[in-house]
Amino acid sequence: MSDTAGTGAVLVVGGGISGLTAALEAAEVGNDVFLIEKNPYFGGRVAQLNQYFPKLCPPTCGLEINFRRVKDNRRVRPYTMTTVKSISGGPGNYEVQLVTAPRYVNSNCTACGDCARVCTDEIDNAFNFGMNKTTAIYLPHEMAFPRRYVLDKAACSPSCLEAIKGACKYNAIDLDMQPETFTVKVGSIVWATGWNPYDATRMDNLKFGQSPAIITNMMMERMAAPNGPTSGQILRPGDNKEPQSIAFVQCAGSRDENHLEYCSYICCMATFKQMTYVRERYPDAQIYVFYIDLRTPGKYEHFREKLMADQKSQFIKGKVADIISEADGGVTVVAENAVTGAKIQQKVDLCVLATGMQPALGDNGRALGVRMDGNGFVVSDPDKGQIAAGCAKSAADVYTSAQSSTAAALKAIQIGR
Amino acid sequence: MSMNVQPDLEFIKDMKSAGGDTLKKCFQCATCSVVCPLSTDGNPFPRREMVFAQWGLKEKLVGDPNVMLCHQCGDCTTYCPRGAKPGDVLGAIRAYAYKHFGWPKGLANLASSGKNLPLLIGMPAVIILVVWIISGGLHFPSAEDFGRYGYGHFFGHWDFNLLAKNVFFIDLIILPTVALSLYAAYRGVSNMWRLMAENAGVGQPLYRPSASQFIKEFLWPSVVEIVQHTRFKKCTTNADRLKGHLPLLLSFLALFFVTAYSAFTQDVIGIFIPEMHGPMSMWNPVKILANVAAIALIVGVGILWGNRARKEAEGKATPTFYDWFLIWMIMGVGVTGLAAELFRLIGVVSVGYIIYYLHLVSVMMLFLYMPYTKFAHMVYRTFAMAFERYRESAYVKSPLAE
Repeated sequence: MSDTAGTGAVLVVGGGISGLTAALEAAEVGNDVFLIEKNPYFGGRVAQLNQYFPKLCPPTCGLEINFRRVKDNRRVRPYTMTTVKSISGGPGNYEVQLVTAPRYVNSNCTACGDCARVCTDEIDNAFNFGMNKTTAIYLPHEMAFPRRYVLDKAACSPSCLEAIKGACKYNAIDLDMQPETFTVKVGSIVWATGWNPYDATRMDNLKFGQSPAIITNMMMERMAAPNGPTSGQILRPGDNKEPQSIAFVQCAGSRDENHLEYCSYICCMATFKQMTYVRERYPDAQIYVFYIDLRTPGKYEHFREKLMADQKSQFIKGKVADIISEADGGVTVVAENAVTGAKIQQKVDLCVLATGMQPALGDNGRALGVRMDGNGFVVSDPDKGQIAAGCAKSAADVYTSAQSSTAAALKAIQIGR
Repeated sequence: MSMNVQPDLEFIKDMKSAGGDTLKKCFQCATCSVVCPLSTDGNPFPRREMVFAQWGLKEKLVGDPNVMLCHQCGDCTTYCPRGAKPGDVLGAIRAYAYKHFGWPKGLANLASSGKNLPLLIGMPAVIILVVWIISGGLHFPSAEDFGRYGYGHFFGHWDFNLLAKNVFFIDLIILPTVALSLYAAYRGVSNMWRLMAENAGVGQPLYRPSASQFIKEFLWPSVVEIVQHTRFKKCTTNADRLKGHLPLLLSFLALFFVTAYSAFTQDVIGIFIPEMHGPMSMWNPVKILANVAAIALIVGVGILWGNRARKEAEGKATPTFYDWFLIWMIMGVGVTGLAAELFRLIGVVSVGYIIYYLHLVSVMMLFLYMPYTKFAHMVYRTFAMAFERYRESAYVKSPLAE
């Protein structure tokens, strides 16, 4: 089945919104597509959002239809928990070795959840950025596709494993599963490896991790999401206080030579969007947005205008460069208002760091010989049949990612024709 | 509508030559003002100074106490997201300010460029050489004379008790130099003060402090703060510099005392008791202090030298003539001074005399160029700190008005 040499098959690395789009566009015009995803589920970062901007619809809108299209299209072969091991050959004739990590749950799984009910060991919930725990055998999230449990075997005691195995009525637990290496022959490769939130602990002056009142914008998404750790409530981690004042710290690591030297593009809009989350729940909360420049290109300007009209929100031109933990669990953010020239010490209940996008491929990509720029973004090389899409290519919103993924698919299908 | 924009190329060039050309990278995020350990809530810097510099508002900058209050700790430069090096830019603005307030202009300009180094060394070297020739002392004395009087007969000897020949010729060189230097500093500081008062909107105060009030309330507390290195100690990122600056400053104070003591005992008491002339005993407490201070001076400036060289190697500071010239001059004074003493003690006349000549040259350079080089921070920063106190005092802010 994997002998697709010379057929113009495409390997799409990364199964987020960009990878799904590129894979479907290529498959729906008749190309064979291998779609691989490192996580045990498709949907990537979008799946973790509460809402998209600017229409504020939930991520099911968009992801669901794409999952449907994948299920319906026999040309797309999706693989979860799969990564690239090595690449050989050239454009039109690549041989790519892939490795699938053991899931320990086979396709018999019906996601009935009996295993999780008997599981006694817990792990940090990575989907929720460790804000809560989950059983060691788990469904990554409610709308996970494929809808199949996954087991963190290393976190389980032998007795727990025994109980899990015993609880499954469908013989879906396979504790002897091994990493599986296989080779695919493709004409071109689309890199849709996406992004990671920039590690906020690296900005030592912003004290992330030193006070529970300091969270990242992606943690905010999870809190606001109905399927998140707080079932959609925005509460201060630790003491579950309902915040009456919130500071948004823009450019937390972005546009900074010491961290990410580029603008991450989405953080301003993400903050405006998250202001709507706050307003929905706390009509009287004070909101402070500290920024260098507010970048809301194109039609997003309307969104900005609407939120800037909010009476209980203040916008301060000045980057927060120090955060001090307070005894009552809150924090004081410190900035200089560059318009008035006064230093501001604003005490707030909750502080959201608008951290930026770091390309996720990183050193793995360099080891595989992928052409990358100094910031780790993949640089398309269409002559070599290697094309970047979405946030692997540059920091972008969902809309731009989908566009660049369609463009990448168009490039990819021209190889080997 | 057309607008005739004339960029101030001279200012840009000045900034560049003093290591401040990174200022154009600044995008006004104000990180610097927050991380700066010396910037206060009411009067944060250096973000505002960065935009003033970008706009070329020279008058605002030279009359801005913040420029002088900056101690170049470097936190701003470390955290700057753009590599705009605000610390270096403020250093460059200070260099510009010393030149701007410098008098006479020609000398101020001369002392601000490394291209003039031959002239900067040559002028004092020639002046002292000419005086040495005129004095008739230009020859090496006998070993016995050297052992007895050291460099006391450098400019020769005459039998006129009221004023030793050596003292006369040294005073002939140093006194006019010091007078010029003090006048230039006074002029510069007065002009800076006027501009600072103007920029701060001080206007005509209801009461003017008398000279003694001024010294007691503003100047003396600033001097105490400087000697205690209070602000330097807040510069945690650049803590190594404190280890150099503190011994250096204390050695200057000690050597000032030693010089004054020696001038008094030799040139005043010496008139009546001629035995007071000649080098002090090595066991004289004042001599011990002098030697300790000399070593502290060399060690202190050596630490600053190493610190700066390391920061430049790491790319955290820009090498500039402005910064190095002062380090070289002080090192020159310290090394020639101590070496002259050593050669006197081991009795090598020829080498000793030549080193002593170089010592006089380096001392004259230090005094002569004080108001125009980085050394000028001694007076300008002191008065900026006094202004900071004055600005907040009841002379300016009427407590009844609030």
